[in-house]
Amino acid sequence: MEDFLPYLAVLLPAMTAAISTGAPILYATLGELVMERGGVLNLGVEGMMMVGALAAFLGCYHTGSPWFGLLCGGFSAMLMSMLHGAICLIFQGSQVVSGLALTIFGTGLANYLGTPYIQMKIQGFTALDVPLLSSIPVLGPIFFQQDVLVYLSYILPFLLWWLLMRTRFGLALRATGENPAAVRAAGISPGAVRWAALMLGGFLVGLGGAYLALASMRMWVDNLVSGRGWIAVALVIFAFWRPGRAVFGVYLFSGITAYLFRAQALGVGIPTAFLSMLPYLMTLAVLLASSLRGKDSGAPADLANNLRPED
Amino acid sequence: MFKRAMFLVLALALSCSAALAADAAKEIKIGFVYVSPVGDAGWSYSHDLARQELEKHSDISTYYMESVPEGADSERVILSMARKGYDLIFTTSFGYMDPTLKVAKQFPKTAFMHASGYKTSENVGNYFGRIYQSRYLTGMVAGLMTKKNQIGYVAAFPIPEVVRGINAFTLGVRAVNPKAEVRVVWTKTWYDPALEKDAAISLLDIGVDVIAQHQDSPGPQEAAQDRGAYSVGYHSDMSRFAPEAHLVAAVWNWVPFYLEAVDQVRKGTWQPKSDWPGMESGIVDISPYGKMVPEDVRATVDQRKQEIVDGKYVVFSGPINDQSGKLRVEPGKVLSDQELISFDWFVDGVVGTMN
Amino acid sequence: MMSGWRIVSRTEPREWGSVVIFAAAFALSLLICGLLLQVQGKDGALGVGLLLSGGFGHLYSYGETLLKAIPIFLCSLGVALCFRLQIWNIGAEGQYVIGTLGGTWFVLTFASLPGWLLLPGMLISAMLAGGFWACVSAVLRQRFGMNEIISTLMLNYIGIEILKYLIYGPWRDPAAMNFPVSPYFSDSAVIAQIWNSSFWLDFGLSENIVDVMAQLCGRAHWGILSCLIAGCLCSFFLQKTRLGYEITAAGSNAKAARFAGIPYSRLVILVMFICGALAGLAGIQECSATLERLEPHIVVGYGYTAVVVAWLAKLRTVRIAFFAIILAGLRVGVENVQLELQVSNSFANTLEGIILITVLAGQFFNDYSLKRKFS
Repeated sequence: MEDFLPYLAVLLPAMTAAISTGAPILYATLGELVMERGGVLNLGVEGMMMVGALAAFLGCYHTGSPWFGLLCGGFSAMLMSMLHGAICLIFQGSQVVSGLALTIFGTGLANYLGTPYIQMKIQGFTALDVPLLSSIPVLGPIFFQQDVLVYLSYILPFLLWWLLMRTRFGLALRATGENPAAVRAAGISPGAVRWAALMLGGFLVGLGGAYLALASMRMWVDNLVSGRGWIAVALVIFAFWRPGRAVFGVYLFSGITAYLFRAQALGVGIPTAFLSMLPYLMTLAVLLASSLRGKDSGAPADLANNLRPED
Repeated sequence: MFKRAMFLVLALALSCSAALAADAAKEIKIGFVYVSPVGDAGWSYSHDLARQELEKHSDISTYYMESVPEGADSERVILSMARKGYDLIFTTSFGYMDPTLKVAKQFPKTAFMHASGYKTSENVGNYFGRIYQSRYLTGMVAGLMTKKNQIGYVAAFPIPEVVRGINAFTLGVRAVNPKAEVRVVWTKTWYDPALEKDAAISLLDIGVDVIAQHQDSPGPQEAAQDRGAYSVGYHSDMSRFAPEAHLVAAVWNWVPFYLEAVDQVRKGTWQPKSDWPGMESGIVDISPYGKMVPEDVRATVDQRKQEIVDGKYVVFSGPINDQSGKLRVEPGKVLSDQELISFDWFVDGVVGTMN
Repeated sequence: MMSGWRIVSRTEPREWGSVVIFAAAFALSLLICGLLLQVQGKDGALGVGLLLSGGFGHLYSYGETLLKAIPIFLCSLGVALCFRLQIWNIGAEGQYVIGTLGGTWFVLTFASLPGWLLLPGMLISAMLAGGFWACVSAVLRQRFGMNEIISTLMLNYIGIEILKYLIYGPWRDPAAMNFPVSPYFSDSAVIAQIWNSSFWLDFGLSENIVDVMAQLCGRAHWGILSCLIAGCLCSFFLQKTRLGYEITAAGSNAKAARFAGIPYSRLVILVMFICGALAGLAGIQECSATLERLEPHIVVGYGYTAVVVAWLAKLRTVRIAFFAIILAGLRVGVENVQLELQVSNSFANTLEGIILITVLAGQFFNDYSLKRKFS
């Protein structure tokens, strides 16, 4: 019996870690979700996060203000997202190819421009206990002894859910992802809605990158994002394009990773190949299960299709 | 278009004439092939520090190429360095071994040196440093400084070089603190700072109070600093990342070794051989201690360091038990270099598995 | 969408115009790269010169460029076939990996077979493995309605993890000091280089010619034959056979194709299998010809490059060859820039990204024209 105790005991710190390691992925996942709900597939998340992370670092490094850095991160990724918009919405390029190009370009550019700053440190965001709430037993340390960006990430899914499900804009956004012709018939320009989705989504993805620079590492290092952008792309699908499930998916994934690390530290041999496969296997399994139960995965019907410019 | 073409021709001509001018000055050209970005504070960085030192000599010019993937691409990079007429080419990752040998066959007049492998040929030597000696000493520091007798080790991949480091470190810990354990977590990355930081935090969560690492990023150091624990660095002095936590680091100093090789090539006395120098040559060392390391600890470790330098103490000397408690090295015996190069078992005191 | 201008779809494709547009986009991206070099205090013009001369300017550039173009071409050919049927297969990367595993398995298991069996066996085994891996996505799509972009992307990562597992586990060569590499392939399973200097010297060719040819061909291997064969077969298949016609027809309108009695599901599985087989072939050839054993570093993203190449080439075989060579040459050339100007390796990615983006945007002018709006 007492053999199990340490494994139970590390659950708590594992959850604490999952919240903070999950935060950047959560921002990116929600950002990609907004874009895909509007019908734009953006596989450039990885590159956008890199650019966002570098811009956030530079903003904070030169002004000393992490909040300014955060804005830089968001807006720079928004610019990248608009580049994707320019290629796909104006120049009619393929969304799949443009996204891949964006990842290659963004990763390269951020590493290239960041070279002179490697391993320079910044102040960034540090843990900030929420008064009262942080002293709740068990839950307090997990949820309320984190940094301020994590607290923002608690509110964000609710905001997004409200935006997507309860506002006219959200309705237009979802409709644009499903059937742009109907949106146009209703007198709204689907192109404009997609631009809005790209900008909002890009900004959120940028915050994810910024989190890595400003809160996780608090310095600039090469290849800071290391594949987290791709995990975000997978999680959007895992979440069936729903913000609530996205939160669940992100914390499930980061929680399992965090727990397995700790189990390994306690001396259990975990086949790490399986661990690294997990998010991808999970996504496939969930999609398969839903298909077997005859449920629709909820993919926006017009995802990855371009609007015809003549229309 | 015409202007553009002229421009290119001009550019090419310029680069050629620059090459000719260099030949006239009879300087020696050295190429370095790195597997990771030079800014990583790790393995490639340790070589690049030495390269920068060589560059200060007016008769040596150095060139490097970073982040060269091991495999088909590395052969081309080595090939183009050889074609450019470099006199001596250092290839600094295990995966470059076969490509180096292949290229060397075509350029018999060029000297090649491959780090961390085991093959040689007429013009390929291999070299490595006995960094495990430094690991052992840093293990002693960790063993003396731990209060909970639990030490964490963030490790990259289960290959012999890493296993050897973990084993030497653990022997060092156990030499001064038989009750202490070393817990290993594999990240399966050489360089993912955020992930490696998380791995270190997971070790701290289960109660270790010293973090050691075999990674190229300073992520684990950061974790120790944030949590008020101690840390042991690797590759280079990592105290700037964790001034409060950094006890000591196992460090490389390639400068004297590289200078000697360059000198031999210049004089024509260079011979391809397997070179595995240890602490006595200065190629491996430990960094200055952090201010929290008390005087008696420093004295104990310094004394052992002197014994190693003098050849009076051998790190992997029996009796050594493995994890299951089975005697693997008889008292009075030492492990051969061959056995060290292909290490695939953990010594007693390591908590963790081989995959 | 644009005020004052109207976007009109071109009824006839530009002929020579498309070449001009590509050249303009390419030049623009080189200009941007030159500027990026200037930003870090390097000579931009020199950098661009070094880039082009490294990839295409030396005798020995061509062999290297060709060597790198082989896997890109093969993967891209398969991807283009899928794209024709509107199947967005971005899984060539995973199929390449699994193909390598299939081939390696054959070589390691039947090492004692005679060469005339071992080599074809290796290639076929690789093609079957890659094809099978691609079929997983095809079946998931047709049977369970799973989006193939997603499943192929997921299977890429899973494939790479399987490779790592095998190479760190069961296939680790005990003779390699426990490093994560497989045992060497036996000699008869190694695909030879095209130019065999000693053979031609014995044949009586003069040393000068042999030397020049050796430089020109470099490390390019006989895998180039498989590119020629696959390219010709693909063109023939698409243009001259009923099945090929059906693929193009079904791609442009799946519903109509079903009504016309074209077995859509089987077509999907067929093209995915072909794509996987080609990617697998690319993988095992890369493995056998350049490394002569399996290493984790065999995975360098050719599968993703293939998607980009297929798209840039508008799925046409000859253009795929052209773009595969251009991209391969740039990758070779950028090493020259790195070496001479000592810029960081990320410059290579940046360059490739910029070229892709400009050329991608430039293609718009191929398909559409702007007309003044008269109101």
